[in-house]
Amino acid sequence: MLNEEVTIEKPTLYKLFLLFLRLANLTFGGGDAIMAAMNTELVSARKWLSQEGYSIAYALARITPGTNVLACCAGTAWQIRGWSGAVAAVLAASTPAAIAVMVLTEGYGALQSSAAARAAIAGTLAAAVGMMGTAAWNLLQPYLDRRRWLPAVVIASMSVALLEWLSFSPIRVLGVAALTGLVWRIPE
Amino acid sequence: MNLFLLYLLLTKATLTSFSGTTSLPVIRQDFVEHYHQLTDRQLNAAMAAGQAAPGPNGLYVVSVGYFVDGVPGGCAGLLAVMTPPFLIIPMLQFLGRWADNPRIQSALRAVTVAAAGLVLTTALPLARDALTGPLPVVIAIGSFAFLLFRQRATVLVIGVAALAGLLGQVLK
Repeated sequence: MLNEEVTIEKPTLYKLFLLFLRLANLTFGGGDAIMAAMNTELVSARKWLSQEGYSIAYALARITPGTNVLACCAGTAWQIRGWSGAVAAVLAASTPAAIAVMVLTEGYGALQSSAAARAAIAGTLAAAVGMMGTAAWNLLQPYLDRRRWLPAVVIASMSVALLEWLSFSPIRVLGVAALTGLVWRIPE
Repeated sequence: MNLFLLYLLLTKATLTSFSGTTSLPVIRQDFVEHYHQLTDRQLNAAMAAGQAAPGPNGLYVVSVGYFVDGVPGGCAGLLAVMTPPFLIIPMLQFLGRWADNPRIQSALRAVTVAAAGLVLTTALPLARDALTGPLPVVIAIGSFAFLLFRQRATVLVIGVAALAGLLGQVLK
């Protein structure tokens, strides 16, 4: 493991669980803020992990499928306490929020019988459409600089065309995009 | 729907995404278009529930599972969210040196911008379902504009949107 030579003290599984529970569920500012807090807590404050170990987990988390933050939790905790640590960290980071999501979903269903609640829900559904627009913009916007706008716009437009007009499946669209990115280099 | 199939379909979506909402096109294709287990309205509600909860992005998949099969479905959704992150462990063991490879980074950037197009395309049928009058259109545009400047204010946006919907009903 990358961390063998620098770990000063291996935390108990319980301590590790509590730290990830707090970092992932109570850090405001989204994924990047959570991962920045992980860097500070794991490397500087507690010295459970080397900076190199954190940096490699951070880099690989960005190319791991699924939620980047959870991959970063799994990668850092695995270096500290092996597989049991990785499982504990991912459980701690995702379970409380998942329970909250289920409660909210149940609320949507239960409130459908009231006209006032239906009107409030209709408002939140309209807001969700706006959020999807923001999500798409946030994915594209970092690439709209002078050096990268052309491949970014071409590939994004191509994905719309392949899905909407040529009836490609989303997975095939992403595959075509990955191959395009291998050939047509999008600079850092 | 069989719980194992539900887990497999949700995992297929999370395995082919690289950030919170990029699994949306795959989920819509499977659950709305192919298996008819979900309506566009429910998918939209799942997005709102996922955004309103604390913690990592992408947990709307739990809500999708919950809509399909209650608490067991929600747990299948949670498992589908939790599965792909463990791929980082074999990657740490074998691929650490490839993480900074320019071609792999470029392919990942291409997938990200393609996902932007896919999310936008997927949002269109959801918009047709949700934006049924002037007020929902104003709420959607207002949410989009506000979140461009305050990205993490999703709970506030959802709360204000609910109030606006309620107010619209009272004033009708």
